[in-house]
Amino acid sequence: MPSVFDTPAPDAALQLALDRVKRSEEEGRGSDMEGLAFNQVVVNMGPQHPSTHGVLRLVVTLDGELIKDVIPVIGYLHRCKEKLAERRTYYQYIPIVDRTEYLASMNCEWGYVLTVEKLAGIEPTRRVEFIRVIMAELMRIASHQVAVGTFTADLSPLGTAMAFYTFRDRELILDLLEEASGARMMFNYFRFGGVRYDLPDGWVEKCHALMGKMPKLIDEYEALVKNNAVFLSRCLGKGVITQEDVAEYGITGPNARASGVAYDLRRTRPYSVYPELDFRVCLAEHGDVYDRYQVRIDEMRESVKIVLQCLDMLPDGPVQVGSLRAPYVITPPPGECYVGQENPRGEYGTYIVSDGSRYPYRLKYRDPCFCNLQIFPKLLRGTKIADAVAISGSMDMVLGGIDR
Amino acid sequence: MVDVGLIILRLVVAIVIAYAVVFVAALVNILFERRGLAVMQDRLGPNRTGPQGILQSVADSFKMMGKEDFAPAAADKIVFTLAPILVMVGAVAVQVVIPYTKGFTPQDLNVGIIYIVAITSFTVFSILLAGWASHNKYSLVGALRSAAQMVSYEVPMILGLLVVAMAVGSLSLNAVVEAQSDYRWNIFFLPLTFLIYFVASIAELNRGPFDLPESESELVAGYGTEYSGMRFGMFFLNEYAGMTIMSMITVTLFLGGWQGPFADRLVIGGVALIPIFWFLVKTYVMVFALVWIRLSVPRLQVDQLMDFAWKILIPLGLANILVSAAVMLWVPNWKGGMLVVQWILLLVFVGSFDTILRWNLRRRRKRVAVLG
Repeated sequence: MPSVFDTPAPDAALQLALDRVKRSEEEGRGSDMEGLAFNQVVVNMGPQHPSTHGVLRLVVTLDGELIKDVIPVIGYLHRCKEKLAERRTYYQYIPIVDRTEYLASMNCEWGYVLTVEKLAGIEPTRRVEFIRVIMAELMRIASHQVAVGTFTADLSPLGTAMAFYTFRDRELILDLLEEASGARMMFNYFRFGGVRYDLPDGWVEKCHALMGKMPKLIDEYEALVKNNAVFLSRCLGKGVITQEDVAEYGITGPNARASGVAYDLRRTRPYSVYPELDFRVCLAEHGDVYDRYQVRIDEMRESVKIVLQCLDMLPDGPVQVGSLRAPYVITPPPGECYVGQENPRGEYGTYIVSDGSRYPYRLKYRDPCFCNLQIFPKLLRGTKIADAVAISGSMDMVLGGIDR
Repeated sequence: MVDVGLIILRLVVAIVIAYAVVFVAALVNILFERRGLAVMQDRLGPNRTGPQGILQSVADSFKMMGKEDFAPAAADKIVFTLAPILVMVGAVAVQVVIPYTKGFTPQDLNVGIIYIVAITSFTVFSILLAGWASHNKYSLVGALRSAAQMVSYEVPMILGLLVVAMAVGSLSLNAVVEAQSDYRWNIFFLPLTFLIYFVASIAELNRGPFDLPESESELVAGYGTEYSGMRFGMFFLNEYAGMTIMSMITVTLFLGGWQGPFADRLVIGGVALIPIFWFLVKTYVMVFALVWIRLSVPRLQVDQLMDFAWKILIPLGLANILVSAAVMLWVPNWKGGMLVVQWILLLVFVGSFDTILRWNLRRRRKRVAVLG
């Protein structure tokens, strides 16, 4: 009779890893020493592991400290986001979009709303466009703060200090977003052709004040780690993504820009009022862990610039199209539509097929984290355990987006 | 007969003090570090249990004692139980030779420094045992890392202590303290030796940038992954008691031990009381240094750790011994000579090391793109 103390039977991923070990042993390429020693160990990193940032599971084959093979296993946070869309009206689905990539909810909502607007031919007002850009860029700063903070926290208690600083300042941004939308994380703020509420009184001044001191705060993050030789030795030249990799694996966002690929949908496939704004696409040359960190820091500064410009250019006007307070029921004409939008983590694409009814016929996401995750086995193979933690931290995964 | 009675009394007092120091130090240090880190990380830290949270560690340890005594089914039960018991041996036994104050050293061994080196390496046994007995891969990797690290860093530590022994001319810790009277502390004229010893002692403690055996972001909890309740508590207490014990040794060897102003006042039964205060103050300055270093230096990687021990610290330690021996042998006023030579070496090393390391790291980086 089986008892709770028995080793459970390996699942598919674990079995695959074990089979690979067995095969490599049979072929005589077990270890470093030309197949003389076989001491490969298969370890589950995750789903409950302190440094996988969510429920990502990596089935890792170790040879001592060396990583021989990695099989990422996902699906522990699967909540049927795409299927849910088929039983809800377009309007009812907006709050669910928040919960996909939960660290960048505003941007995700925008991606969905953009797609439906394009499908239904709704044109938002100019004030709305600026409010949306402000919200999305504030969210981008907040999201990068989490990314940078948790990445350095993986490296050491020094990073934990950094994480406390970034989270401290993220609260200030969330306060602003809360004041505008009523929520701190799941905003439910965007509407088709508009936003839910107009900006409250005094919000613009508050945002202006925060953005004024944000560059100083970002300097503070940088000062903590920039010249730390140990931090540099953990980051420089580790986990290099080449430009070929970027093309082959479809890597987008800061991870691609760190390899010098100037792919930023705000510039390459502009939407909303981004063509009118002055900002730089942040690039780096080496494509390693440090550059991915550096690009995020630079992007925070650029986002601050964008928000400041938008606050200055913000026109007056309605925040909803037409007389309706909110278009509860919309029926886009039959057809399909894909809109890619620049999320903090890369190209967040929403693909909707409409059959002319009140519900989407099919909804599909192109999640940046899901595509960026595909390069993990290639990046991690041949590195050390400690490198793996640094690399996976620098890739900035959000499992809510990957599993949907 | 009276002598024998006195010796037994002294030993009993010493043993009681040794255990009291270990447990009290652990409880104090846990809170000290938590509040210290909190200040540095711009937050409050534990401040609810008792005034300013001073009862937090006590509450935590009672909580741990109340937990289920659990061992994994696959674990080697005997070794699994033995490991947390043995782990305290190093921290308790090493206090036998520490001169707490003038006239009170539990046992003044004439091989005190060697005894310290021998006893402090005892911790690695229990960590290895714990890692092996847990039947867990994370624990095993943590234990192996720990063994490699402790063996590696013991060498530079001994190389550092050797210079102290050479300078003092004795291995007895009382002699070391006596030699540092009138503020002629070893740290002033052996700064490079202090640096080597201090770095190695942090590695011996498994702390700060060298906490690889239990690096929580990589190995979950390293050798302690399968431990819970008071078994885990023993490892935890030992780690934090170790901070104080190691600082005591550092203070004795380099910071003049119990020496300080008014050392001769308030003597009761041949035991001076005021030096205890100086000893504690110096010890907690060193403990604070440990907390500070832990926060401000990221964790090293295993290969970097080994490189640092074998390629940098050990050659440096050997060079240090050679130079120091030469100075002692041929320079008439050798203390003055040491002062000059060691400070120059230290400044050159500290000034160049960081720059060279960073330059080298940047040089080896390859570009994947060329931007205009």
